[in-house]
Parts: sequence; C-alpha cells; structure tokens
Amino acid sequence: MNLNDIQTRCDRVPFFRHLGFSVTEANDTHFLASMPFEERHIGNPMLETYHGGIIASFMEALASLTVLDDMASPPPKPINLTVDYLRPGLPGTLNTRATVSRKGRRMASVETVAWLEDEAKPVAKGLFHFLLV
Amino acid sequence: MSDAKDSERFAMIANIWNSRAKGLIAEMGLIIERADPQGVQIRMPFNPDFCLDEEGTMLHGGVLTALLDSSFGLSNFLAINDVQTMATLDLRVDYLRPASSRADVIVFAECYRQTRHIAFGSGKVWFDTGDRAEVARGSAAFALTRGKGGLLEKLNTRGPGG
Repeated sequence: MNLNDIQTRCDRVPFFRHLGFSVTEANDTHFLASMPFEERHIGNPMLETYHGGIIASFMEALASLTVLDDMASPPPKPINLTVDYLRPGLPGTLNTRATVSRKGRRMASVETVAWLEDEAKPVAKGLFHFLLV
Repeated sequence: MSDAKDSERFAMIANIWNSRAKGLIAEMGLIIERADPQGVQIRMPFNPDFCLDEEGTMLHGGVLTALLDSSFGLSNFLAINDVQTMATLDLRVDYLRPASSRADVIVFAECYRQTRHIAFGSGKVWFDTGDRAEVARGSAAFALTRGKGGLLEKLNTRGPGG
C-alpha cells in the first residue's frame, strides 16, 4: 500500500488528526505507525502519562486501516476490543504495530502492540474485531 | 460519617477530578451528573474532533473506550476509600450500535467489586436521545495500591498548574 494514500485518508478523519499519528510502514500483513506525545493525550494529570483510552484509540485506528481492501474502501465497523495494559504510558513517541490475524469475507481480527522505545517492552497489546460488511 | 458528609465528600472528589483534569479528560468537556460509591454518570457533549467524518455524523469508537476508561477511574476513587494509585490492567469494550448521533453521550460506570489489590469496573454508554439504547458496554480490571495520601489529595494540595 502507498503511504501517501494512507496519509491522505487519515488526514480526512477528524479523530485521526486529533490523535496525530502517521503510518510509516504498510504491507499486506501489518501496518506500523508512530504518534508524538501531546498534552491532549494525557490521562493521569500527576504523572502526565498517556490516557489509556488514547492508547486504545491509536491501536484501534491503525487496526481499522489494516483491514481495508484499499484506501477508498468504507471504514470497517468495530465489533469489540480488548486491551492489555502492560507498562506505564510515559510521555514520548508511541509506536504501534497492527497485524491482521485473520481476514475473512465478513470479519477481521487484528492484533496490535504499542511501545515507546523498545518493541520488546510493550506498553499495551490489543485485539480488535471488525465487521467488513 | 453522616449521609450529608458523605455526599459532600463525593462531590468534592468529583469536583477535584474534574477541575484538575488535564489532557484528554479536559478535551472531552465532561459534566458529572452523579457521583457516589454505587456509580458515576457522566455527560460528554458532542465534539466534531472525535468523529470519523468531516460532516460529524459518526463518533470514533475509541472515544467511547476513552470515556469508559475515564469513568472507571472516577468510580474507583469514589468506591475505594484508601486508593492511592491505580493502573488499568485490561479493558474490554463491545460496540453495540453505530455511534451515529450528534446528541450528548452519557456513560454510567461502577466499581462492582474490589479486593485488596484489584478493582473490577463495568459501564455502559448511550446517547441522550430518550430511548437510552446502549451504544457500548465495557469492563475493566485495575491494579490498586492502597494507603494514605491518595492521588486526589495530592491533586487537591497542588496549586493550579502545579
């Protein structure tokens, strides 16, 4: 997939602009993206860490892009999600990799992992289901 | 503690939580409608920045997830007397209907079980449209540290911008 087409699509989604991530790698099996830390992403006002919902939203946003046939396809319908929070979401650029586990005619299942500096030390992992029809 | 004192304390916790909000919670412009140990009800006004489309016809599901996560935080603070810190262990959200409304979003969240180390939360989300049809349902588990000098007390003693 063409990164420019992906970026153009992301730029048209208000909430994706709010998150402010960019996709840096995209192929048939996985997408990679990074999101700079912003004050509007803070969850804990004392520790100034990422809001858990922002981490989940970033992972969901990237997961939803990986299941598209092409960048002109309508957005998939999210069915549900599970997020495992593994480490504190300290301020810093957050990276996410979304991998399609299974994509059928009606349903898709996507696994995600988010990390700050070291992919081997994930901040969160996610599992997302989408309806494609 | 009398009922009146309790309700004052609950109002104070809710007020600190809201007034000291930063980042996403501040962006969401939340209005607390109910706050006690049995649950919290919070209203989120429509915000076009949280939508999937420029026309603002559909909210992104992630916003509802974030709203549930935030509400679990407040309901834990109200239900657990000596909570010092808490960390979300996991979060599960089912999207039950398309989030296609420009009405305010309302969330109800409760801490329905607490142990020394863990709290369990459950919540539901609907649009303020009259039929209260559920748009999302979520549940989460939290790791707790108990003790004196909790997060809210710290927030309360720090000055604005501190």
